Amino acid sequence: MSFINYATREIQLKIVYYGCGLCGKTTNLQVIHQMIRDEAKGSLTSLATSQDRTLFFDFMPLSADAVRGFKTKFQMYTVPGQVMYNMTRRLVLRGADGVVFVVDSQWDKMQQNVESLANLEENLKLQGDSLDTIPYILQYNKRDLPNVAPAKYLEFVFNNRGGLRRPSMAAVAPRGDGVFESLNLIARLVLNRFVKQHGGKENADQQFKLA
Amino acid sequence: MAFVLTAKDVQRMNGVLNQLMARAEAQGGMVCDFSGHVLTEVGFDSQDPMLISALGAGVFAASRELARLLGEDEFSSVIHQGEKRGLFICAVDRDTLLVVAFSVSASMGLVKLYARPAVAELRALFAAVQERAESRPSDEQSFVLNDAKEWFGSEEKPTAP
Repeated sequence: MSFINYATREIQLKIVYYGCGLCGKTTNLQVIHQMIRDEAKGSLTSLATSQDRTLFFDFMPLSADAVRGFKTKFQMYTVPGQVMYNMTRRLVLRGADGVVFVVDSQWDKMQQNVESLANLEENLKLQGDSLDTIPYILQYNKRDLPNVAPAKYLEFVFNNRGGLRRPSMAAVAPRGDGVFESLNLIARLVLNRFVKQHGGKENADQQFKLA
Repeated sequence: MAFVLTAKDVQRMNGVLNQLMARAEAQGGMVCDFSGHVLTEVGFDSQDPMLISALGAGVFAASRELARLLGEDEFSSVIHQGEKRGLFICAVDRDTLLVVAFSVSASMGLVKLYARPAVAELRALFAAVQERAESRPSDEQSFVLNDAKEWFGSEEKPTAP
């Protein structure tokens, strides 16, 4: 749920990176933190195990001059991807305004990807939201690895809800490929919905395409 | 929909926090929501309020689930106490939290005692905010996005994380 503070002229929005374990959610935030200019970011905080597996969440605030007359602050979170942390994912997902669903493109990760997307759908439903309404994009990560599924296959499996295609992006997160493109894309979708809900003027290029 | 606060709402909240801090001899007070957004804060100058809010919301949400596992509706508050400073977190309503930072020289009992009327005042304020949001649309300006191809750009190639 977004938050508008007229006293400080701030808008706060929450974006969550979701996906199965080791798909690249934390890497996305690490790369953004490394590459973005200092004025636009806060510190990256990771609550992780000693093996660098996300235990609770990663968190990083970003700011941008996206809305005229307001400072826009994005709270970026990742969820823990391992199956046993479902309750934690629910807590982190609470109040999300947009989701980047990160897909591990490797063939042997397909089942985990599918289960993770189903899990996202279930957790959204529990908080009264759904994949049909919340802004989200698909990031097909690890495109540089040898045993990856073709993009068309991934689109068929993950981007086929009721004939409506969501924006999707190929990525190699450690190299930064597709990372900022994904970030800008989800920010635009989230803000378009925000201004639409408040009777403002959204950008003409909608990003949604019918299959 | 969004959670909307006017300048008057923030002024009132700051008044509640300042009074709480004066009475309880606390060092910092913050109101945040369960998503981790900072609604307002007083006294957290050298720390990162957004980070405290995100972590505090996470901690309280986790404690809530632990309480449910133990057959409780929720734990009314969460207290963390270090050698020099402590943190008190309690729910204002189902969407918002009160976070109070105090030094160990202050009395924990005072913090808990004065947090209660502060929570009651904040709860009444948020009830009014909710009622306002439901009864009439905001008469503040509508929002326009800045024309920009990208709001976030990269400055350098990453080294392997």
